[in-house]
Amino acid sequence: MAQFRLESSKVLAVTLGGGGDAVKAKNGSMVAYDGEMAFKKMSGGGEGMRGMVTRRLTGEQLTVMEVKGQGTCYFADRAADISLVSLNGEKLHVEASNLLCTDGGLRTGTSFTGLRGASQGNGLFTTSVEGTGQAALMSDGPAVLLRVTSQTPLQVDPGAYVAHQGNLRQSFQTGVNFRTLMGEGSGEAFQIRFEGEGVVYVQPSERNTLGGEV
Amino acid sequence: MSQPQGAAGDGYRVYDATTLPANDNVNPYAFSVELDGQWFLQKGKMIAYYGQIDFHGIGHGPLDRLVASSFHSPLHASDWVVAQGRGKLLLADRAFDVNSYDLQDGNLTVRSGNLLAFEPSLSLKQSIVPGFLTLIGTGSFVAASNGEVHFVQPPVRVDPQALVGWADCPSPCHHYDHQYLKGVMGGLRAMTGMGGTSGEEHQFEFVGEGTVLIQSSEVVMAERDAGAVPQQAGVPGGGQGGQGGHGGQQRPQLPGQFGSLQRRFGL
Repeated sequence: MAQFRLESSKVLAVTLGGGGDAVKAKNGSMVAYDGEMAFKKMSGGGEGMRGMVTRRLTGEQLTVMEVKGQGTCYFADRAADISLVSLNGEKLHVEASNLLCTDGGLRTGTSFTGLRGASQGNGLFTTSVEGTGQAALMSDGPAVLLRVTSQTPLQVDPGAYVAHQGNLRQSFQTGVNFRTLMGEGSGEAFQIRFEGEGVVYVQPSERNTLGGEV
Repeated sequence: MSQPQGAAGDGYRVYDATTLPANDNVNPYAFSVELDGQWFLQKGKMIAYYGQIDFHGIGHGPLDRLVASSFHSPLHASDWVVAQGRGKLLLADRAFDVNSYDLQDGNLTVRSGNLLAFEPSLSLKQSIVPGFLTLIGTGSFVAASNGEVHFVQPPVRVDPQALVGWADCPSPCHHYDHQYLKGVMGGLRAMTGMGGTSGEEHQFEFVGEGTVLIQSSEVVMAERDAGAVPQQAGVPGGGQGGQGGHGGQQRPQLPGQFGSLQRRFGL
């Protein structure tokens, strides 16, 4: 199985042992490698014809390549900070644009998230990663991990949301009122509310969202 | 250090509502506010929160009195949000470094784009220096910077792009390296760039008692509208100011501008 480690906070090093060892990484994110590597573009996120159509339809585009071989491969993307996540059969939900690399043994798919995505301009869907192995997430600035318990629900700005894990329900919360329409909105009109038990990854930065304008 | 339970977290520190620091940095790029009452935030800087917190745009409403006591320029109040309630609030700004500063019956002037949030016990006023805001009183505020902030004591000369702000009122003024830019050749050099300029001929000079805050980069944070000032004679940045009606005459004339070339040739 591929071994993930952080070479620095912004460079991921993946050691592949040859044979069937493979990882799926964001297209073009390889910065260096030693050993023998083969890079193959996978259309539709490597999820076959069905996945390809789903991704095209949902707008949750994921251009990935399959990296196979023996040696160490280094990945980085626009100096984004990287966090590693180990999965043992759980499911991780992540924004497609924040996913850097997943173990070849992990299944990726698209799942419906409800109305959250509408405010982000990147659709109503998120990418799910499932199985056993490691995955690497990217964030603008080091991600902050926030635990959600049944007593302490968490509200997150859609622009700062990166990923979540665990048994969480998410709902969309809006503070839009007549003052928003009069141009005196609070700039924090939309939030995602997480309830249940789990962990949410947020980044110390906000993507440009429609929600940030109102 | 609370160890993450279960698989989630992967050795990273997982914060929850109780382990998030109270009014301190979570990491250099995110700041956690323990809210019990009100705070003022710049629009769009909240990334997450626990607890019961409402965000109100500033306008007409029940918060009018609070706003009136903390803002002294109604014109830029629309960029601010009042967070009201109880809980932990995480603030961040485009992955810039954030820091909190405590004022004890003091004053601090900061570039308008760098200020993220402040306690209502402070009052926010426009500085006479255009593009800067001054906080006066007792309380804490959060400001962002591109790279770490360094505190230096005057007398000091600072690159304009690296200046974040200053506290306790040292006197800020412009400084030019006239030695270098003297004469006709110097003027041509500065104007055309031929012969090379170092780009460091102009600095801000601070003298007097106080502290100057500089960031470790020369990337200026986008300026926020600090509100207009009344168009009156003698008000810097007040549009058609000066007695004679020469709007631009109040700004320092850079060496190499046409006006000074004319002067050099005695025209």
